[in-house]
Amino acid sequence: MTLRRTLTIAALLTPGLGLILVMVGSVFYIAVAQSFGYYNLSGESAFSLDHWRDVLGSKQFGRSLGYSAYIAIISALGSIAIAYPLAIWMRKPFRGSLVVGSLLKAPLFVPGLVAAFLFLNVIAYHGVLNQFLIWTGLTDAPIRFQNDRNGFGVIFLQLWKNMPLALLLLTGAVQGISDEVVDAARDLGAGPLARFRKVIAPLTVQAMQAALIIIFIGAAGDFAFQVTAGPTNVQSMAQYMVFLKTSFGRWNQAAVVGVSLMGLALVGALGLAGLARLTLRGLKW
Amino acid sequence: MASLAAKGISKVFEDGFQALTDIDLVVEPGEFVTLLGPSGCGKTTLLKTLAGFYDATTGRIEIGGTDVTAAPPEKRDTAMCFQSYALFPHLTVAENIDFGPRQAGVPKAERRARLESLLRQVDLEAHRDKLPNRLSGGQQQRVALARALAMRPAVVLFDEPLSNLDAKLREQVRREIRALQKEIGFTAIYVTHDQSEALAMSDRVVVMQGGRIDQVGRPEEIYARPETAFVADFIGAANLVPFEDLGGGRVKTPLGELRAAVPPAGNASFICWRPEDVELVEAGAASENVIRGVVRDRAYQGAHTELHVATGDADLGLQRLHVAGAAPAEGAEVAFRLGADQIRFVRSALA
Ligand SMILES: Nc1ncnc2c1ncn2[C@@H]1O[C@H](COP(=O)(O)OP(=O)(O)OP(=O)(O)O)[C@@H](O)[C@H]1O
Ligand SMILES: [Mg+2]
Repeated sequence: MTLRRTLTIAALLTPGLGLILVMVGSVFYIAVAQSFGYYNLSGESAFSLDHWRDVLGSKQFGRSLGYSAYIAIISALGSIAIAYPLAIWMRKPFRGSLVVGSLLKAPLFVPGLVAAFLFLNVIAYHGVLNQFLIWTGLTDAPIRFQNDRNGFGVIFLQLWKNMPLALLLLTGAVQGISDEVVDAARDLGAGPLARFRKVIAPLTVQAMQAALIIIFIGAAGDFAFQVTAGPTNVQSMAQYMVFLKTSFGRWNQAAVVGVSLMGLALVGALGLAGLARLTLRGLKW
Repeated sequence: MASLAAKGISKVFEDGFQALTDIDLVVEPGEFVTLLGPSGCGKTTLLKTLAGFYDATTGRIEIGGTDVTAAPPEKRDTAMCFQSYALFPHLTVAENIDFGPRQAGVPKAERRARLESLLRQVDLEAHRDKLPNRLSGGQQQRVALARALAMRPAVVLFDEPLSNLDAKLREQVRREIRALQKEIGFTAIYVTHDQSEALAMSDRVVVMQGGRIDQVGRPEEIYARPETAFVADFIGAANLVPFEDLGGGRVKTPLGELRAAVPPAGNASFICWRPEDVELVEAGAASENVIRGVVRDRAYQGAHTELHVATGDADLGLQRLHVAGAAPAEGAEVAFRLGADQIRFVRSALA
């Protein structure tokens, strides 16, 4: 190909590809550059590893990273674990399956923050859940559920919000498997568990990976659920990033956390997807 | 002990449709039985009921002497060859074949031996590591067969396994299946709606209609001595004519008075004769069982010529004749004779 031709093609691609590269690339570039001391809003802009050293050295950062990874992994795996049986159950249409399917997907339409507030209302000290527990006599006094230290509230919200997404992806994939293939496995002696392990899971692994990746990345970057329902003794990465900026005006350190969060998203998502494939290969038999 | 015995099977679907009525079927070890019937007559339903995918509404199924009426498919000693092959798309040929034995916990050495011998028998050794979508239709069909046989099932169930193959390949795979069945000696129930396939392959043919069994018999029996008008018409071609019994084998028909070697049974309502069973005679010949008519239509078929002949009775429709050698022209008057022993009596349907 001549240079001229190459340039023509590049020029033709610019409106689409160029725009994407500029929009996505610039954000990424600024974050990375800022984490290394450029675009400094409160001092001299120059290359420096100080911000990385400061942030990586802080105990709070380590806790944030671990916490966000924990929430993201549990949310991704949990959503899959709940969505799979539902997807298999709804593989063939039955009376009312359309209604059930729609209801299960309803959380997709509820903004996360609204859901979080609803959830807080339910589990509040004088909320419905506590009143119910006292009414049944299971407890004498209200229990404090809000902002629990294990992040169960956040995980619950993540599952509530993300399971429908996993269900959407998995239902499509599971329905794509022909009845006769599943019947053949049955006929060859495979019970429900073996059918899942050896036929359904391997044939839907791509949808499973997609769901894992999307949910992991979303949950790792969570801000809203964490602020409303999360533990108060640890911050999520996003929360920590905002905290560094707003409380101390440390833009460069916030950028370090931001870049780390992107790293976590990438590594974690690829890790989970790879794990899914490896596990299946191991489980093939 | 029979390989498979089904007694009084009926199947009513959830929507209230009765697909099977009172099916009795016994299949002996090593036997090759075909279920033959028109589309929608319940062949697949019966096969799936035997395999356990459908629960029989009434009746009892035994496989190898054990009652399996309530057992799920994975607990029944049957293996099915599906019309769509239903191979596992993510497993290689060898893994597909090995699926069942592995699932059943067959020891490794035994499994390997089965795999190797099956790969050789279905001539797929060169393709053992390919995924199914890399195989031709005939090869996929053979993988499906090998996968079923690897289970060493008491009964192999085939649901129109050749219908996705072209005519030539169908012929070839059909012969391969039959040869393999003779070599290994498995018991087979084979669904088809192709009557020539049924006649060519089977030890016994089960002719079904509307969810019932019309007749069971060896291919020769079914062809030579159909019991119902439906069987006579469905297997090969037949001329069916209503009659009145005059006693002593003599009957009155719209074709005139005829004499049959064997008198009709009480419930018979038609005489039946095959197009190839007639003999053309001189127009003026005065003899027993001679019928006269006019050729309305003539189709040369190579080995014979098919004539459609109008006889005196307008309501009866045209009679089909197969004539070898020189055949009369369209519009010609013909006379033909039916041998007394070629006239058979059939019921209108299952009484
Ligand atoms: N799940 C079902 N619910 C209700 N009716 C059914 C069901 N499955 C099959 N049927 C009906 O039962 C009858 C027999 O169907 P079946 O599939 O056994 O026919 P078949 O003999 O295999 O026909 P073909 O040669 O076309 O495959 C048909 O009328 C069909 O509509
Ligand atoms: Mg069928």
